[in-house]
Amino acid sequence: MKLTALRLHNVRRFAGTGVRIENIGDGINVLCAANEHGKSTCFDALHALFFQPHTGTPGAVQALRPYSGGNPLVEADLTTADGAFRLTKQFYGGRRAQVRERDSGRLIAQADEAERFIAALVKGGISGPAGLLWVRQGVTGIERRAKAEDETERRARETVLTSVQGEVEALTGGRRMTEALLACEEELLRLVTATGRPKAGGPYAIAIDESEQLAEQERRLGTEVSDLRAALDRRRTIRGRLSEIDTPETARERQAALAEAEAELAAAKAQTESFKAAESKAALALNRRVSAEQAVTGFRQALARFAGLRDAEAGAAQERDAARARHQGAAGIVREAAAAVESAEREEREQRDLLARLERALRAQEAANRLATARDSEREAQATREQIERMEATLKSLALPAGKIAELEQAESQLLQLQARAEARAPQLRIDYADGAEGGISIAGIALTQAEERPLVGTTQIEIAAIGRLTVTAPQAEEDSRSIARAQAKRQALLDELQVDSLAAARLREGQARDIKADLDIARRRLQLLAPNGLAALREQIARLETEAASANEAPADLNAARQQLGAVEARVGAMREAARAAQARTETSASALVEAERHAAGLSSALAALAESLGPQAEWRGREERLSVEHDETDRAWQAAQRQVEELAARTIDLAAAEARHLRLRSVMDAAREEITRLREEAAGLDGRIQTRTETAIEETWQETRDRLAQAQQRTAMLAREVAVLSRLRNALEAARSQARDHYFAPVLQELRPLLGLLFDDASVTFDEDTLLPRSVQRNGLDEQVGVLSGGMREQLAILTRLAFARLLAKGGQPTPVILDDALVYSDDDRIEKMFDALHRQASAQQVIVFSCRQRAFARLGGHVLRTEPWQPDQ
Amino acid sequence: MFRFLHSADLHLGKPFGSMPDELRGRLREARHTVLDRLATQACAAGAETILLAGDVFDTETPSPAVLRQALAAMAGHDGLRWILLPGNHDSLAAEALWAGLATSRPGNVVLATEPAPFQLAGDVVLLPAPCTTRRPGRDLTEWMALAATPPDTIRIGFAHGAVQSFSEDGGAGDVIAPDRAARAGLDYLALGDWHGQMRIGPRTWYSGAPEPDRFKHDATGRALLVTLPAAGAEPAVEPVETGSFDWRMLALDCLAGDDPSTHLAALLPAGPSRRQSLVRIVATGRTRPPARTRLEADLKAIAPEFALLQLEAQELVTECESEDLDQIDRAGALRDAAEMLLAESGDESRSPAEREVAREALMRLFSYCAAAA
Repeated sequence: MKLTALRLHNVRRFAGTGVRIENIGDGINVLCAANEHGKSTCFDALHALFFQPHTGTPGAVQALRPYSGGNPLVEADLTTADGAFRLTKQFYGGRRAQVRERDSGRLIAQADEAERFIAALVKGGISGPAGLLWVRQGVTGIERRAKAEDETERRARETVLTSVQGEVEALTGGRRMTEALLACEEELLRLVTATGRPKAGGPYAIAIDESEQLAEQERRLGTEVSDLRAALDRRRTIRGRLSEIDTPETARERQAALAEAEAELAAAKAQTESFKAAESKAALALNRRVSAEQAVTGFRQALARFAGLRDAEAGAAQERDAARARHQGAAGIVREAAAAVESAEREEREQRDLLARLERALRAQEAANRLATARDSEREAQATREQIERMEATLKSLALPAGKIAELEQAESQLLQLQARAEARAPQLRIDYADGAEGGISIAGIALTQAEERPLVGTTQIEIAAIGRLTVTAPQAEEDSRSIARAQAKRQALLDELQVDSLAAARLREGQARDIKADLDIARRRLQLLAPNGLAALREQIARLETEAASANEAPADLNAARQQLGAVEARVGAMREAARAAQARTETSASALVEAERHAAGLSSALAALAESLGPQAEWRGREERLSVEHDETDRAWQAAQRQVEELAARTIDLAAAEARHLRLRSVMDAAREEITRLREEAAGLDGRIQTRTETAIEETWQETRDRLAQAQQRTAMLAREVAVLSRLRNALEAARSQARDHYFAPVLQELRPLLGLLFDDASVTFDEDTLLPRSVQRNGLDEQVGVLSGGMREQLAILTRLAFARLLAKGGQPTPVILDDALVYSDDDRIEKMFDALHRQASAQQVIVFSCRQRAFARLGGHVLRTEPWQPDQ
Repeated sequence: MFRFLHSADLHLGKPFGSMPDELRGRLREARHTVLDRLATQACAAGAETILLAGDVFDTETPSPAVLRQALAAMAGHDGLRWILLPGNHDSLAAEALWAGLATSRPGNVVLATEPAPFQLAGDVVLLPAPCTTRRPGRDLTEWMALAATPPDTIRIGFAHGAVQSFSEDGGAGDVIAPDRAARAGLDYLALGDWHGQMRIGPRTWYSGAPEPDRFKHDATGRALLVTLPAAGAEPAVEPVETGSFDWRMLALDCLAGDDPSTHLAALLPAGPSRRQSLVRIVATGRTRPPARTRLEADLKAIAPEFALLQLEAQELVTECESEDLDQIDRAGALRDAAEMLLAESGDESRSPAEREVAREALMRLFSYCAAAA
């Protein structure tokens, strides 16, 4: 949007007149005039055109009216992306709002339509507050303001700063938003916790608790009330029932019916008794009849049996006697056989003794024979033994230790060898005497013979007569002679050990020992032959044979004949014994036959005796039989009579079971009635108690009251729940709107603001609160200054720059909007004003900026398009 | 000539559990003292008999205090005769109640517990139809037509129950024939049950409750002073005031442009009578947020003057225009929030409950902003 012209009539000091500003261009436009030329009037009129409905007369509109009254008219031309329009508003009399096409004058909208058109102009797109872009001396123009405040500089200085806050607050709801949120949260948190649960101790939680408690109480009381009602109903029922059954008439009726039934039952019982007596009488008669019959039959059978038994007894006695005779015969045979066996056995014993004696004599004879031989052998063996012992002693003295001979031989041969070698190596001394000198030389006093050769051994002193003593030393010969001496010593030691003189003697002894040993072997073999088990065994044998030979005391006879005799006797004994055994077996059989026959006979006898006893004297048998028969007939008649009586009684009996059942039934009716009456009375008494208790506590009233209170509490709970929902909804809406606004504006505006700040405050850096978009502090010369203590110039500069930043933001969003400044730079020094001018120009490259100012000189340096006011009268 | 006071439905001992504690005590007390007011009216008119047509007691088991104090109050007016009929709330099923009354009643209290003629005066016979149970399920007045009386005797029917299915307790099985007076040759049929006073016919009346107990009937507590000149002659029936508390439902019809608070002032009773008034304002129509806020604030301010002052505003539609939103803010986040809520409150795709919550949240925002301003 871009303004191109502004016209007003009947506004404030222009009572009855008007002014116009035409040809407002792009970029910077400056209306510079002294005070009281109507700059602020223009500003206010333009503001009212955009923001005051033509129908209302709020303070801002009233302020436009001239003191003399009249109807303020404001008109502005503007161009937008959609074209060029003319807006007209008249307040008070003839109030109207119109939108026309500027060029054709065609009416596009009026009244509310026009208002909507205007509202869309300033609000459309990103719904930014267009008011932001209006900066008057210290005020934003969108806040309620008191005239008095406008006029005091102190207030102005304050509001210059707060205007920035105001703008930001307008965006985010600001302080009011915060207050609304606080109020909302305060109310909400009184009811619920931060997590949305009912807050303990809060009204909501209390209401819920109360509802629950009352519900519980109501349920309990409801139960008690229904209990009471049930009790009342029940008691009524009981009373009704009692009035039916618990009256004298009904009791009498029940009694009479019972008495009748009792009488009937007694009759039935008496009749039954007599029937039972008859029956038992008949049974008794029957018993008697049966026993009489048994008596007569039994007697007759006993008689028959007696006769049979008597015959059998006679037969058995005969049989027994025969058996006895047979047994005695058999016993005789057994005795004879035993005697025969005994004699045969005696004979056998005698024969056996004879045979034994004969055999002993024979053995003694043989022993005597062997004894002579044994004695010869013993003598010879003894001699041989002695010879052996002598030979062994000799051998022991002759025997040389094994290997010693060989050792001696070796020592001998070694000695000889050494001697030979020594002789061979020894220097030989030979003297061939000159004549006359024989024997002049001697060695060790022994004169050497002519041509005698002597070996020189060791140091030999040769005495040469008349000459002196010649000492010859042969070291080699000395060595040899020592070896020989050692060998000789060794041989001598061996000889000493063997106790012989020489090797030859040793060999001779060896040969002697060998001969003796051969003889000894022969003697030992002979001894072995003579006494193979040794001499001691041979002597024992001799002693034994001597005993054997001495024991024979009978002459030997014919042994074989004796043996044959014994065999015959033995055979006879065997035959005898068999015969005896057979006889014994026969006698055992006959004995058992005898026992059996005797037992049989005895049994029959005793049976017969017993029967005879029971039958009594035989003479009375006949009479007794007759008597029993008569008795039987009599009992039979008695029984038949009794039976007839039973049948007669049975024919006319009463049904006892039916009488009893009837009696029982009436009895139970009576009992049941009595029992029911008692029970009902008791129950009624119990109910009385229950009802009494409940009634006294006015239970229904309490219940009713609790129900009412419950309804109330539930209503209150619902109300509070709704309150929570409403408050939660409101809080969410507020928070969402605020964060949306922040997202929407803060970052972009800050981005736009930074280069402008750099332009202006090259010596200072301004920090903004990211959350509120309010300048927080200014850092200058290393010092932090809170925004609250900034100079008025600084504040107004910040205010303007913030607006410019917004304007840039809107322009970038495709919504170019004019920035209108009314004496907005009041406190700024010249240097700063220049910088502000730079900032404005920088901004104006994409933006329309309209500046109203009374500071003609200062603003002359702003440059830009200069605007002029001209008188104007609207077309009527 | 026979003159008596006809009343019913005293509901002595009614707990009023849903009322604030302090008011409950007063309401209960008013129910008790109505006995004195009845007596005063009867004495003033020269009537010696008071017919109480049922529901003298609120429950079948009134507390001993309620019972004894009521009897004591009746006994205190010894020139009067009180005749009590069992109603549906205190029917004969409440054996303990009626047995207790029978033993402890003072001499001037008569219990009409038998459906049999009872001689009230020389030529006046009362034909009571006591409720046998809470819901008898039949017309208990039928027997009245069969009850023979000497000629020229004034016959007064005495019953409790509905003549249409508008009974307080609902149900239609036990409706009293509306023309019972004519059919049974009654000079007057004194009815109880309906808490509002109502004429059924020239000889048949509901007296209404002497002390109202609910908003339903929207009338003061009254009894009927009945004068029967002679047998067969038309009775003279005259309402007399007996109520202590006034229960009122006031309709407040709002228009969008109006300020309902001004109407309210005209509606409400004035002065000290407010203390005895229970008022329920039923607001309908349309209003704007500021007016609505103001209305609620006004009500809150004057509510303490009343025994009870309630606003029922479910039917009151609060409409929001954009200038209303201007009161919250012209632009910015606060305005955005308000518009979000406004849109939500009119969003047909949402449930009515959600819309209502959004609408109330908006109202709340109005009140916050108004308070801040």
